[in-house]
Formats: sequence, structure tokens, C-alpha cells
Amino acid sequence: MLDVAGLRKVYEGQGHRVEAIADLTFRVGTGEFACLVGPSGCGKTTLLRCLAGLLAPTAGMVRVDGVPVAGPPPELAVVFQEYGRSLFPWLRVRENVELPLRAKGLPKARRQSIVDDALAAVGLADAGRAYPWQLSGGMQQRVAIARAVGYHPRVLLMDEPFAAVDAQTRADLEDLIRDVWRRLSVTLLFVTHDIDEAVYLGQRVIVLSAAPSTVDADLAVDLPDERDQLSTRADPRFTDLRTQVWSRIKRTTALEASP
Amino acid sequence: MKAWLGVLGLLAFGGVLEALPRLGLVPAGYLPPPSRIAVALADQAHQPTFWAALGDTLRTWLTGLAIAVAAGLVCGVVIGSVPLLREATASTVEFLRPIPSVALIPLAVLLYGTGIRATLLLVVYAAFWQVLVQVLHGVGDVDPVARDTADSYRLGRLARMRYLVWPTALPYALTGVRLATSVALVLAVTGELVIGTPGLGREIAVAQSSGAVPAMYALVVVTGLLGVAANLVTRAAERRALVWHPAVRT
Amino acid sequence: MIVRRTVALLGLPAVLVAAWWVASAGSTDFYRPPLARILAAFRDTWFGRRLLDDVAPSLARLAVGYTVALCAGIAIGVAIGASPRLRALTEPVLEFLRAIPPPVLVPVVILVAGIGDLMKVLVIVSGCLWPVLLNTVEGVRAIDPTLADTARVYHIGGTLRLRRLVLRAASPQIVTGARQALSIGIILMVISEMFAASSGLGFTVVQFQRSFAIPEMWSGVLLLGLLGVLLSLGFRAVEARVLGWYHGLRAVARGSR
Repeated sequence: MLDVAGLRKVYEGQGHRVEAIADLTFRVGTGEFACLVGPSGCGKTTLLRCLAGLLAPTAGMVRVDGVPVAGPPPELAVVFQEYGRSLFPWLRVRENVELPLRAKGLPKARRQSIVDDALAAVGLADAGRAYPWQLSGGMQQRVAIARAVGYHPRVLLMDEPFAAVDAQTRADLEDLIRDVWRRLSVTLLFVTHDIDEAVYLGQRVIVLSAAPSTVDADLAVDLPDERDQLSTRADPRFTDLRTQVWSRIKRTTALEASP
Repeated sequence: MKAWLGVLGLLAFGGVLEALPRLGLVPAGYLPPPSRIAVALADQAHQPTFWAALGDTLRTWLTGLAIAVAAGLVCGVVIGSVPLLREATASTVEFLRPIPSVALIPLAVLLYGTGIRATLLLVVYAAFWQVLVQVLHGVGDVDPVARDTADSYRLGRLARMRYLVWPTALPYALTGVRLATSVALVLAVTGELVIGTPGLGREIAVAQSSGAVPAMYALVVVTGLLGVAANLVTRAAERRALVWHPAVRT
Repeated sequence: MIVRRTVALLGLPAVLVAAWWVASAGSTDFYRPPLARILAAFRDTWFGRRLLDDVAPSLARLAVGYTVALCAGIAIGVAIGASPRLRALTEPVLEFLRAIPPPVLVPVVILVAGIGDLMKVLVIVSGCLWPVLLNTVEGVRAIDPTLADTARVYHIGGTLRLRRLVLRAASPQIVTGARQALSIGIILMVISEMFAASSGLGFTVVQFQRSFAIPEMWSGVLLLGLLGVLLSLGFRAVEARVLGWYHGLRAVARGSR
């Protein structure tokens, strides 16, 4: 469903160039939940912007459902890290969720029922009349998720969506996202710098090296499908996977430090 | 790159203005080509009356500005630091501020004739509120945590002024001065134009009524250049005085 | 509490008006008539035919000129603000045009458009345009990149993007520009009539001054002041509606700092 081949991105500034992504190749199958981790500053956000068609790569190609990406593909939604800046502060919560549906040209009644369902799915059925900035950070990110859910994408990209919320909220949101993924049967690529989160959420963890990044490892997460904050995290297999990812990342950063 | 585009834009603008009358699309009597305006400008530069008018405008403008800034700063700090005073004057300030200063023109003429003081009244009235309101905002914006810190260290009134109120209010005050500078220029020229106080505004009116069209445009350009200079100077001053301030730093 | 607030609101203005009343009560100074006479003149002068013949046309010209400047300024500002290249190209020209004190445009426009209604409206347009235009450019330029990305990802384009993203995101700056433009507009309304006219508010007030109808002139000054205050109150009411979200957002950001 999501096909990345030989992707490379170099930023050319005045007199200096930064190579963010050296050479990336991987694919995410239809309906799969993949997590992407890497040391901080490894070009995760650059990659995500290339995947979403917001940024043209220097070389290589991204395909969504077999179609090469040039500009944001249809049926792809993104949840950004900065929830405070990706929601429209002059629109109420309902209108925020509704706006992409309006752009799709859906009739009003249809839009209303989709918005109701999407808000209910993220547990915000009562907050529709509020403005986003009247809500807590975690609730704002729920609105952003509801907007993505209502859009009914086939591919959902998430860019460190929970990096800015507190630990308890984060756990709730993680379970919410697992729930959404199963219900929508969407292909999900989740970018994070948190190794525990990657292992807890994904069916697969793709480890990136430090910038200029390449795929350093690609591990299958063979944990049971039913996950639970307490028992899954206490599972020896969880600890084991976590350690594997950890050591991978440590190695790439150590290599980086002693060139 | 960016600067070159700007120069290109200016040249293109000048080119269009030059072409319009020359191609007969606009009567040259209404809009003389810039080359003729430039000639008129050079001509003006040789006349002592022009320099006298420029001097008069500068004097009215800067005198009025200085009075307004001084009064605005003093009133702003005093009113702003006394909560009771602030509360009592709020509605009066809000009422007096939007009164257009041109409403005062007949009064000014009646009281001061066509002398410089008539125009000064307009300039000071208009510029004063810009400074006062900004300083009031600034003094009111002192960080409550910093205020508590100052309390716990028992800072005296002067030290508090120096280290707490002044640095917070400074960026606001400078914004006020920047706004006041351009408003003061507008009102100085208005007074000269309408009341007849000596200065560039009066020269423009004279040039218009005597049909010296290129000279009129040349004088308009000069007032525009004064405005540009004022903007550049006040913005540079803001940047210099506020190197430590987050709004400038980031 | 309510009593206290009322006193704070009306206390000083009441004292000032009372002081004026008392101080001027027995005045025989020709130039400073008693406030009572000014108020009487106010009633006799303005609540009659003059309201229709002088006040209404002035305000109508202001309304037309201001509206045209607002629409044109926003339209051109959006176009320029959306393109970095166009912005760089036009910036010095716009900086210069903005810096010209608007009143000097009165003689220029008289040259082109005579001394009729058209001249007065054009003067108001040519003065009000720049603050709206430049602030709109600034507002459109500063649209949050994350919001712009969001709009792209969800394929929000065309007029939907213009109405729900661009104009709303730039609205705080547009309102700032519109406020500056309004006070310039009032100034230009008055002086375009003082300079060359046979009717209108500015003309009438200057006429009173020239014919030494002193209480009437004072009443005209009062009326102009009152209009300024009323227009600014009206503007604030509109602003509260348009920028309700912005003030709320700011208050939240301030509280969490």
C-alpha cells in the first residue's frame, strides 16, 4: 500500500547542504500498523512530509496504492505533532472535523453523521461546540484524530502525535489509536522517538539510523493482537523486543559519535 | 536576490508611470512622467523656499513628536503604575483617543491663527494617544511572577521602576513612538495644507492652485521620502534597543 | 461591585464635564462660550436639515470609500501575500506609497477628479488602502505552515481554502489594518471637505469658524469627536465578533505562560 523506494532528500541552502535522508527503501502492506523509530534528528519528519506529498524528494519514489506521489495523495490523512497548530483555531471542534468533508463535497446530512461518529469514536461526543484551544492538549489531539477518522483515509500517517502530552493521556491515546486502526482497517505508519511506544503499538518496527538516514533494522512485533498497558508492557517478549530496538539505536548513535 | 527584485519592482513602477502619460493613456497634465517630476525636484532643490519649507515641516513634526512622547511617557508610567488612577481614567482615555484630531482644526485656527502652534496642537493631540496607550499596555504587562520576585526581594520604588517596569514597557513604548512618528508627520502636513502653517503641505497647496503640477508631485514625493525615512529610523531604533527581547531575538 | 465599576466608568468623565460646565458658566469670552450655549447650539444646528444635507453625505462618502479600500486592500493583499516573489517585487514600492502622508493626496486627487463626490471618495480610498493592504500581506505571509500543510493534506483548496484558512488566519492583521484605515478615513473625510467643498461636515464646521459662529463651531467640533468615538465603538463591536476566537486563544496562551 505504501511503497518507498530509494528515497533521498538533501536540503540545499545558501552555501550549505544538509543530507537528511540518504537512501530509504521499505514498504508497508495494506492494513498494516508499522512504527518508525530513530534517534532524534534523524529525518523522521522529513520522511513523513515526503510520504504525505508535502515535500518533493531529491531522488527516489514514494507510491501510495501503486500511484507515484506528487502532491498529497487522496485517501491519505496526516496527524501532526503540533496539535495546537494543525487545528483551525477559528473553527469549532465540529467544524474542524467537518472541513475536509466539505472539501470532498459531501452533502450536509452526510457530513453531520460522519462528524458525530468520528467524535464519538474518540470520546469527544460532547465537545463539538467548543473551540480547540478551550480543550486540553490530549483532547485537542483527539480532535485531530477524529478529523483523520472522519476523512476515512486508506493510509494514515502520524508524526510523533503524542510527544507533547502527559504520560497518562498518552497511554489512553495509544489505546485509542490501536482501536481506531482496527476499526478502520487502515494502513498506519506511526512515527515516534519513543521505543516503548513503537513496540507497544506496532505490528512492525522500522528502525532508522541517524541522519543521513537509512533503514537500520526492520523487526516484526510478535506480540498478541490484544494489547494492554499493564500486561503487554510486562510481557518478557515486549522487554526483549524493546532491548533489541534500543541496542540498534544505540549502535547507530555510537557510530555517529565516533566517525 | 530579494533586494534585486525590489529594485526591479521600483524600476517597473517608475517605467509604468513614465509610459502612461507618454503614450497618452493619461493626460500629462494630471500625471506628469517621473522624469519631469525629477526635473522639478532638482529645480526645487535650488530654491531657498523649498529648504525653508522642509525645515518648517521638520521643526513642526519633531517638536510636536517630542512633546507628545514626553507627555505620553510620563502620563503612561504614572497612570499605569497606580491601579486606582488607571481604573478611573480608562473610560476617559477610551473616549478621548478616537476623537479625530482634525476636529480640532477650527479651534486651533481660532486660538492660534495660522502660526506653527495651531498645527502643533493637532500633532501633539494625535501623537500623544499613540504613546500613552502603548505605555499603559506595557506597564500593565509586567509579568506577575517578576512582580512577586521584586516584592520578595523588597525592591524599592526606583529599583522596581528601573529593573521591572522599564524593561517590560520599553518595547511597547518604542512601538508607540514608531506609530506616533508617522501620525505626527501626517498631522504636521495636514495642518500646513489645511490651515496654511508654513511648510511642505502649504507649498503643495500653493503649487496645486498655481498649476505647477510637476512641482506639486515633487513635493508629494518629498513628503513620502520623509515618511520612509521615519519608518526606517524608528524600526532600526526598535531593533537596536531590543536585542535582548524575545520578539526580536527569535 | 457594580457601583464601583460605574463610578470608575463614569466618574472622571462626569467630573470633567461638570468642571467645564461650571468654569464656562459665566464666560463672556467670545471664543469660549458657556457649555450650556454650545449644547443649545448643538441641538439647534445638527438635529434638523443639516443632518440630511451635511452629515449624511459625509458619512455616506466615508462608507463608500472605506468599503472600497477594504475590499481592494484585502484582495490585492491576499494576492501579494501568497507569493514570496511578488512580495519581494512590490515591497519597496508599497513601503513608499504607504509612507506618503494621505492628506497630500487631496490636492493630487482634486487635479484629477475635480472637487465633487468622486474626489472625496477617491481621497478616502487612496488613504485607507495602504494600511489594509500591507497588513493583509503581512497576515497572509505569516499563515502557520502546519495549518497550510493540513489544508493541503486534506485537499482543502480554492474558495474553501481562501475563506476558511487564508482570510481567517490573516484576520487579526486585517483588523489591525482596518482600524488604522478607519481613523485615516475620518481624517480624510473631514479635510477633503475643508479643502474644497460646498457642503459636508468638514465644510460646515470651517464655515462656522470663518463666520465667527463660535458656539456652532464648538458644537461641530463636539459632533466630529462624537462621530469618531461612535465609529470606533462600532468597529470594536465588529472586531469582537470577527476575532472572538483570537482573543480567546490569546487569553489561554497568556494564562498558561
